[in-house]
Amino acid sequence: MHRRSVLLGALASSVAALPFSRAMAQSNTSIRFYNYNLATAGIGAEATLKMLARFGSENRSVTVEGVGVPVSELMGRVQADMVAGMGPDVAQLAFTGLSYARDYLGAVALEDAVPAEELEAHLAGMIPNGARLGKLDGKTYALPYVFSTPVLFYNADIFRAAGLDPDTPPKTWEDVRQAAETIQTATDKTGLLTGIFGTTAGDWLYQGIVRSAGGQLMSDDRKTLTFASAEVIEGLSFLRSVAKSGAMQPVFDTGAIEAMASGSVGMYLQTSAVQNSLLRGSAGKWELRSASMPAFPGHDPMPSNSGSGLVMMTRDPAKQRAAWELMKFLTSDWAYTVITSEIGYLPLRPNAIESEEFLAPWIRENPLILPNLDQLTRLEPTVPYPGPNYAQIMQMVNGAAELAVFGPSDDVAGILTEAQRQAQSLMP
Amino acid sequence: MFVTALRPENEIYSYLPIPTAPSLENFAIALQQIPAVRMLINTFAFALGSTMASLLTAVLAAYALTRWRFFGAKLAYAIIALTWLVPFQVVMIPNYVLVSRLGLIDTITALVLPNMMSAFAVMMLVQSMRSFPAEVVEAARMDGASDWRILWRVIVPNLRAPLAALAILLFVSAWNEYFWPLLLTRSPETSVIQSGIQMFISDQGNRWGPLMAVSSIACLPVLAIYIVLQRQVIDSFVQAGLR
Repeated sequence: MHRRSVLLGALASSVAALPFSRAMAQSNTSIRFYNYNLATAGIGAEATLKMLARFGSENRSVTVEGVGVPVSELMGRVQADMVAGMGPDVAQLAFTGLSYARDYLGAVALEDAVPAEELEAHLAGMIPNGARLGKLDGKTYALPYVFSTPVLFYNADIFRAAGLDPDTPPKTWEDVRQAAETIQTATDKTGLLTGIFGTTAGDWLYQGIVRSAGGQLMSDDRKTLTFASAEVIEGLSFLRSVAKSGAMQPVFDTGAIEAMASGSVGMYLQTSAVQNSLLRGSAGKWELRSASMPAFPGHDPMPSNSGSGLVMMTRDPAKQRAAWELMKFLTSDWAYTVITSEIGYLPLRPNAIESEEFLAPWIRENPLILPNLDQLTRLEPTVPYPGPNYAQIMQMVNGAAELAVFGPSDDVAGILTEAQRQAQSLMP
Repeated sequence: MFVTALRPENEIYSYLPIPTAPSLENFAIALQQIPAVRMLINTFAFALGSTMASLLTAVLAAYALTRWRFFGAKLAYAIIALTWLVPFQVVMIPNYVLVSRLGLIDTITALVLPNMMSAFAVMMLVQSMRSFPAEVVEAARMDGASDWRILWRVIVPNLRAPLAALAILLFVSAWNEYFWPLLLTRSPETSVIQSGIQMFISDQGNRWGPLMAVSSIACLPVLAIYIVLQRQVIDSFVQAGLR
């Protein structure tokens, strides 16, 4: 009986795997890949084209049409193309839109499309905290691709001018406040800017603030918003006190990146992905350094992740096979070597980080990435809001948090509680 | 814009009015990182095609609305005027679905198609044709001229100034178009220069040097056309003011 069960199980597995295996044997499969790095000029597009070229040379039977779409237009473009019957087979989507992609755009769970042993083997080669970034309700809807964590960039020259030691950067928000106040008093420079708020900030960094303060955005069953908890109120009240002291200025988005790059800001908390912009501005002018995300009193910092994952959108077995080969290749040791050294995102594969063949020599020469790598062990995945109103909820939550920190009222609890009540009505 | 384009990378945020070491490096980077020449050709073809098609349809529509008496003429004019108030974003997706079903995605034809008729151009030419002396048209008709002959031999040659002004406005509008080409095109080689400028803007920081370089290049054709046609444009506005 047992033997028969085993045989039946093996037969069932074979039948289940049949479309995928048969698809493997087919040749000349063409897939469409939407990618936001391709929509930019310079390192992001060049590195992506380099990876696609190598994939093409190693996989002659698969043709990849790389379509560059600006990140701000990506979700709308996917929707428009699906309406026109020509949607992507694989899309590089921001983690914040993952729930929407699953529920409304038909994103395919890798567990439902890829042989279990292949998926398991590929994910096993990734840092565990990274491998879970694309999971929703236990299934993998996005293979983590390019992403980074919040880094406290600082201007070592300004630190020295203010009498601070650039070799001992701030570790807590209290340290940050004191350093920022010292910089503003001793120099004519701005003490601290952050990328937490602003129209293009998204909510990934704010989610890291919430988690670092000991709170969470919503309940584990993803039905109830909980961002107005006592922990979050306490954390934002602390940030408000930093802002009220004048140590943290309300300059956001590219304005903040440019202010930091121009050498007029002491510290800047932002994604490590801005590192290249800051390096271009600092070249020959001032010394750029980086440190880990600051901690709130009594809590460990819990950095969140920016960036995107590769989402399988096609339901055609042959295209799914080709898509999976592309997804595996773009998250391989070699690909992460290109992604990290040429674009500036984080490598998700320990082998790529440690191997002399891949990133180890580059990491020794580029210590700015070390705080970012160090944070991988504490990484908390960015949580996508559920339902079709996910973008509005995100705006509402972020807007309330910005008002609580920089607005005229000291009633942080009242602002957050009211925003939570309103945003809850937009939840499915 | 030109000054920033000439600044080296680490001087982009300098407050000095002129760069200390001006160079053409940003132009080189821009031309190397995006197919700017190809994009300019695409933009020119798109803008010229849209302008010519809009002028043609507007001239025909304006003549029909001003010289013919037919049932629903006022309603037709009102509907055309109302469409001018509808933002293009509202009809963008239906247009996109249509051109994709026609198999025209990623082509200049698809870029031009929704811009072949301009409500603004019709309204402007209706005003110009209404003020055109009726006696001249009647004299031509008495000489046996057909509507087609009256339009192209009598009216259009005398509307050169407003047509030139309208052509510039339509050309500049198409030249600066961003959303429709962005939705339609699939690669930098088939895209327009406005998308090329956007490629230097990202959440990770803007590349101001190459961005200003390619913006400077993008301005030159429009500036050249304005210089060539400026006499007609000034005449048109002067006539409008004297009327």
